[in-house]
Amino acid sequence: MLHVLSHMPEAATAVVSDMDPPYRYKRLFKRFVLLTLVCSVVPLLLVGWIISNRYQRSAETRVMAAFRNEIQHHRKVIELFLKDHRSKLELMAQSNGRQDFLQPGRLRSLFDLFNQDRLTLTDLGVIDADGNHLAYVGPYDLLDKNYAETHWFKMVMEKGLYISDMFMGFRREPHFIIAVKGHDAIGPWILRATVYTEGFRALVENVMIGRTGEIFLVNREGVYQTTSRYSGRIMENASMTVGPVHPGIQVRQEASDAGFNGERSVRQIVSTAWLETPQWMLVVRQDYAEAFAAENRANLSVLVFLLISAATILGATILVTRHMLDLVKRRDVQAETLNRQLMQASKMASIGELSVGVAHEINNPLAIISTEREILIDASQKASGMDPSFSTQLDSAMHQIDVQIQRCKRITHNLLRFSRRTESVIDTVDINAFISEVIDLMEREARSSGITFFERLSPDVPPILSDLSQLQQVFLNLITNAIDAHEDKRYGSVAISSTYLESEKTVEIVVSDTGCGMSQETLVRVFDPFFTTKPMGRGTGLGLSICYSIIKGLGGQIDVKSVPGQGTDFIIRLPLRKSDRTGNAMPPANQMEQAA
Amino acid sequence: MIGSKILLVDDEVIFARNMETLLDARGYRSKAVTSGAEAVRALETEDFDVVVLDLKMPGMDGLTTLKEIKKLGLFTQTLILTGHGSIDSALEAIKLGAYDYLTKPCQISELVEKIEGAWEIKDDLKRQDISEKTRKPVESPRDAKQGVADSARPITITLG
Repeated sequence: MLHVLSHMPEAATAVVSDMDPPYRYKRLFKRFVLLTLVCSVVPLLLVGWIISNRYQRSAETRVMAAFRNEIQHHRKVIELFLKDHRSKLELMAQSNGRQDFLQPGRLRSLFDLFNQDRLTLTDLGVIDADGNHLAYVGPYDLLDKNYAETHWFKMVMEKGLYISDMFMGFRREPHFIIAVKGHDAIGPWILRATVYTEGFRALVENVMIGRTGEIFLVNREGVYQTTSRYSGRIMENASMTVGPVHPGIQVRQEASDAGFNGERSVRQIVSTAWLETPQWMLVVRQDYAEAFAAENRANLSVLVFLLISAATILGATILVTRHMLDLVKRRDVQAETLNRQLMQASKMASIGELSVGVAHEINNPLAIISTEREILIDASQKASGMDPSFSTQLDSAMHQIDVQIQRCKRITHNLLRFSRRTESVIDTVDINAFISEVIDLMEREARSSGITFFERLSPDVPPILSDLSQLQQVFLNLITNAIDAHEDKRYGSVAISSTYLESEKTVEIVVSDTGCGMSQETLVRVFDPFFTTKPMGRGTGLGLSICYSIIKGLGGQIDVKSVPGQGTDFIIRLPLRKSDRTGNAMPPANQMEQAA
Repeated sequence: MIGSKILLVDDEVIFARNMETLLDARGYRSKAVTSGAEAVRALETEDFDVVVLDLKMPGMDGLTTLKEIKKLGLFTQTLILTGHGSIDSALEAIKLGAYDYLTKPCQISELVEKIEGAWEIKDDLKRQDISEKTRKPVESPRDAKQGVADSARPITITLG
């Protein structure tokens, strides 16, 4: 039994301080939230990401296809324009001989015919195999010019047809020419037309693609053949690198350092297509952000929706987890209280068992001491010629031995009373009348101590079925303690109140005093047997243990609250009737006897 | 009553011997035995007025010894003197026919007082029995004795 007792406090400590509760709850909270988030937000984001990715890809395909269509359309328009001019010139060269053009007015009428619908040619000239103008219609004075050494002349003489890149030429402004070679009896001759550059450029330069888009032509050397919207003017060198000629259309994304607003490193979509003759590259490009604006907006809405969903889940998770944790905390507190009560009960039972043994074992030697004392007294009375002073001393010692034996007896009998399970006499008890009686009794006792008694009795308190004599023992004990708590004070009060707690079907009686109160350490041990704060010899430390034991035995509950220096409240709750399953605060007497 | 024969039953040898000395010094003729079995044997062979019986003993305990003593059908009265303060065993002993109950340690004067009380009961019973026998024989002396015991015995319980 001693073994059990000495280990109990350690066991209690182990249960209570398993883990620091706030830390444990914090960890639990984190775990719950994390787990819920992993199970809800992660799949949500994953689905969101997959949808967004798929959408992005299809959007990209669509945008690229749109770019392809755009550039194809523009290339076709440009090629048609050039082809139309070339064909007309070729037809003209084939259907007219050199002499026909030299007839006065002939070239002019042909020139006018060309330009009758809209201005398409700037000038038209016929040049012989030596590079000299034979005839010329146009705004410039070029009749005396010789082209024998020019690149275009050589090319047309060699290939029969030539469409030049943009060049400045004698007129010092960007233009390009289409030249076809004709043959007659004298030899080759050339019909050369300067295309109306503004008209051609308008075909390209007037196309608007969004806010950031542009379309332009560059030649193989990377010189602008039309003025681009943001990048450079005609005849300037393009900043982009012109790759090798490729068939069909290429669409790619690249970072361009020159673009709309001159921003640095803008991501752009660039599509390129080469014209056959001349070998010019048609470029259509637009900022990625603009090209994908609609898609980005859709993506943004998805993102916002996802974020709102995630935030809602997070908020709900936190709220639910908090609520759950509150429940857990409440349950923990209940469990801890139950645990403490259980431990207290088992401690009391163990101590009860131990007390019976100790009391019995001490009573026997006490009885021997007592008999030895009486034998000695008998012997001394018979003895003759004893020194009177020794005789006095002996009498005094014998008296003191008896006093101490009686003291020991009182202690052991208190112990036995504490652990004894007496037969309760259950009867109807009028609590209010009972309290009044107890106060009446104690008031006389405490008259000299300056303590005033108050009673606050609720008329609603119904009579209860309980043990009157045991209750008397409890309240006399509590009131004695309350009076003793005023030892250092000249005045004070003891109040006893009664209330009926209808919902719990219990009567609550509170004994409050204005005494010295108790510290936390004392409070924890206040119901422990042998624990007393009274001076040596004044208290056995069993009073409150007996109270505890009795109240438990009557199916009730006793609690204590105290503020050091201000007073103490003992709160007792008694059921309306003692139920059968209560009353086992102590093990049955026969078990104790066996253990003892 | 001076000269009464007292049987002391206690497993504490020193206590039993001391009691013997003290009672003898007060004019009683006492005998100490240290077990229930010894007590029953002593009662079978010798006549005692009062038995002072301890409850908690090894072997045959006090209550069993009391039952055995009662079986002998004697006038001898039994006084319980024990270190064990359980009121349950006290009530049990009284129910079984013990005269009274004392807890250790007690003063010799208290014990003497109880012994005197027990002796008086025993004496009453004996005299009653004799007078009844002289008037008309009864079927069982035990029945009569029990009837008197139930009506006349004062029940006092002293618990420290």
